[in-house]
Amino acid sequence: MATTGVQGRAVEGTGGGGEPFAWSMVLPLVRAGFMGFTGYFAAAWITAMIGHTVIVNPLPATVGYVVGLLAWLAGSGIWDGWIRRAFGGAEAPALTGVERYFRFSSDPKATAVRYVIFNVLAFFFAGLAAMAIRIELLTPDSTKWWLSEVHYNQTFGIHGLMMLLAVAASAIVGGMGYYLLPMMLGARTVIFPRLLGLSWWLLPPAAVAVFMSPLIGGFQTGWWGYPPLAQNSGSGIVFYTLGAATLLTSSLLGGINIIGTIVYMRAKGMSLGRIPMFLWGLFAAGTILIVEAPATFTGTLMDLSDMILGSHFYTGPTGHPLAYDDQFWWLFHPEVYVFVLPAFALWLEILPAAAQRPVFARNWGIAGILGITMIGAMVGVHHYFTAVSDERMPIFMTLTETISIPSGFVFLCALGTLWGGRLRLTSPALLCLMAMMNFLIGGLTGIFNADVPADLQLHNTYWVIGHFHYTILGSVIFSWLAGLYWWFPKVTGRLVNEFWAKFHAWWFFIFFNMTFLPMFILGIEGMNRRIAVYLPYLHPLNEFVSISSFFLGAGFLIPAANLFFSWRSGKKAPQNPWGSKSLEWHSPSPTPYIVFPEGSEVTVVGPNDNYAAGAPEPFVWAPTTAGK
Amino acid sequence: MAVEMARPLMDPAPERAKRGAFFFPMMFMGILSAAWFLARFMWGGTSVPKGVDMGMGIGLTVLMLLSIGPMLGARGKLNRGEDAGAIGNFAILMVVAILMIAGIISTWGAIPIGTGYGGIYDVTSGWIGLYFVGGLLGLLASFMKGKRVPERFRNERWVAHNVVSFWGELVLLWTAFFVVFYLL
Repeated sequence: MATTGVQGRAVEGTGGGGEPFAWSMVLPLVRAGFMGFTGYFAAAWITAMIGHTVIVNPLPATVGYVVGLLAWLAGSGIWDGWIRRAFGGAEAPALTGVERYFRFSSDPKATAVRYVIFNVLAFFFAGLAAMAIRIELLTPDSTKWWLSEVHYNQTFGIHGLMMLLAVAASAIVGGMGYYLLPMMLGARTVIFPRLLGLSWWLLPPAAVAVFMSPLIGGFQTGWWGYPPLAQNSGSGIVFYTLGAATLLTSSLLGGINIIGTIVYMRAKGMSLGRIPMFLWGLFAAGTILIVEAPATFTGTLMDLSDMILGSHFYTGPTGHPLAYDDQFWWLFHPEVYVFVLPAFALWLEILPAAAQRPVFARNWGIAGILGITMIGAMVGVHHYFTAVSDERMPIFMTLTETISIPSGFVFLCALGTLWGGRLRLTSPALLCLMAMMNFLIGGLTGIFNADVPADLQLHNTYWVIGHFHYTILGSVIFSWLAGLYWWFPKVTGRLVNEFWAKFHAWWFFIFFNMTFLPMFILGIEGMNRRIAVYLPYLHPLNEFVSISSFFLGAGFLIPAANLFFSWRSGKKAPQNPWGSKSLEWHSPSPTPYIVFPEGSEVTVVGPNDNYAAGAPEPFVWAPTTAGK
Repeated sequence: MAVEMARPLMDPAPERAKRGAFFFPMMFMGILSAAWFLARFMWGGTSVPKGVDMGMGIGLTVLMLLSIGPMLGARGKLNRGEDAGAIGNFAILMVVAILMIAGIISTWGAIPIGTGYGGIYDVTSGWIGLYFVGGLLGLLASFMKGKRVPERFRNERWVAHNVVSFWGELVLLWTAFFVVFYLL
């Protein structure tokens, strides 16, 4: 679909800086890192000296983290790009060139690109932790030559927390969502662009703290941080707590922008029924974060308070350790839907364009997404059926199993869209289909976890590990790759190499299933999760899983190389390579700095997924003199 | 180095949107505070223990209720475009914020933090204290911007409006805090 004449004239000369990259542009990032580390060590040492203790104790580590975080933010450009002007100081010019990627920026596109880079790096390092876990499980007892039990516990804790909060939580929402949110709505930016910029700058310190937690004693609790083990398992738990709280805050700032932008900044004519499906997924994620994060946020801070201030929320005479479970899972079960609902919505964005068919039963799809959002808020207790009273079990079992119904709506929408369509099986479409297949397995096996009699047998076994890897890695990461390939031409102006994209899709699908399908059998046979040493009869299957996982992990070098080389030397992409009718493809590719500049304004006059022959254009551009 | 010298094209949300969307972070703050308040009943028992600093609690609550006057005054002046007058109200609210922070700190330790009530009181009041720090910074930013660059203050009046709204939420939250922690 070509850009209209009005819009074409309007975008001239607004592509942002075209100057070549220079290393001096990286200086704010280096400055932030230097100030962050200096601030951390200075504050931790001073606190330790005052308290006559050492810097690895919880209080100095906490003070160091807070000061280091603030120093990092100050160094990133937030001071001159935001705070100074907010207090009436000099106004720094908004940088529109390459340099905006290396410093605090209010450009949501730059923020989103930084999210992608961060997610890739976090995925790499957390993936290395996964490889370390699987090396440990190559033999029934590898503690003599590989990780000790203590180091093994630290490793899976870091792997879990990072994969969930530093990858899954922001891969689709951050990297794709923040890029596309204003463009799909016909807006030039998000509602609070500086807050969105800040959201990214909170990520690196949190990730560094969690990865570095073994240096101050690590933590033994896994990604749950359950007390009272948390209080008795090493000072590294404060980095876990602070890192998790910071990552949650970052997600929340994004959630506020998502909701605010969708509510207040839609183009003329974009009624609720015409909001793109992908944005409905983002809307659901943002809603979950705003409404449900508080309970978990307070739990995290209360846990920290027990460790550094001497309160007894979860330990000691007035402690209620099980209250933490309630608070923790209040968000962290729905958090799964923060990962998954944007993935669902992404399928319903990509598949209609790939099949050249409108979304089947579109309103039922939206109802499904919103239904999962609502019911998902009430089901967290199924994570600890073994620790609750009998009265609570049937209630939460029923609620959890009810989730299948709205999930079914989404699946039926996707299948109905494909039915009778002319599907072009491009790499993004292929990955979406694979993600659907994987999620189907993850969802069906999840019913057993929701079912109390089965769950009491399967609780904390490898069945659970298999289940949630199918729903998160198998669904979210497949969808993430699909989205990266789909919108790669939009961001870079180049096409991904389809052969290597499809080659990796199959590699990923085969070795993913070879790695995680046997885990269901392992679980049924009695392999508990979170153990470094297991009984010898489980060895053959564990060996098979480990070897498969090494192929799975090594395979990720393929998309990394493919994306890099496609970016540097891939084929030039046309403006709309997929024939999509979505609004983001109305701007040139790669996206100019100002997507919809002053001088043009879009009005939505129809659904953006009407692919029938001769269907009218869904968007009309008109000149305007006052901007939007 | 490419810079955008024209007016901020990338920040085009109208005032109505900026003010309306501020409801969402305030909603989050409200839910978060509700979580703290509910936790008081989980850990703090069913009655207020002896030893709480009731006088200070009442004093701070009265102070906050009185601050509704300058808050509403600031809102009215902003609506009428009387920015200089609104800045004067901000100065009063800043003084109130400082008194509130000092007052909150002074109540810590009345009940030991190691007890159920003391723990949840200190943590919740500390969190609300952070809101006051945020409010103070917001007021100070608007105050300084209004004094130093009045035109920018006028162009971005939504910021001052949001600061006033934030103060309104602080009044509500503190009043609820007083009821939950001092009366129930």
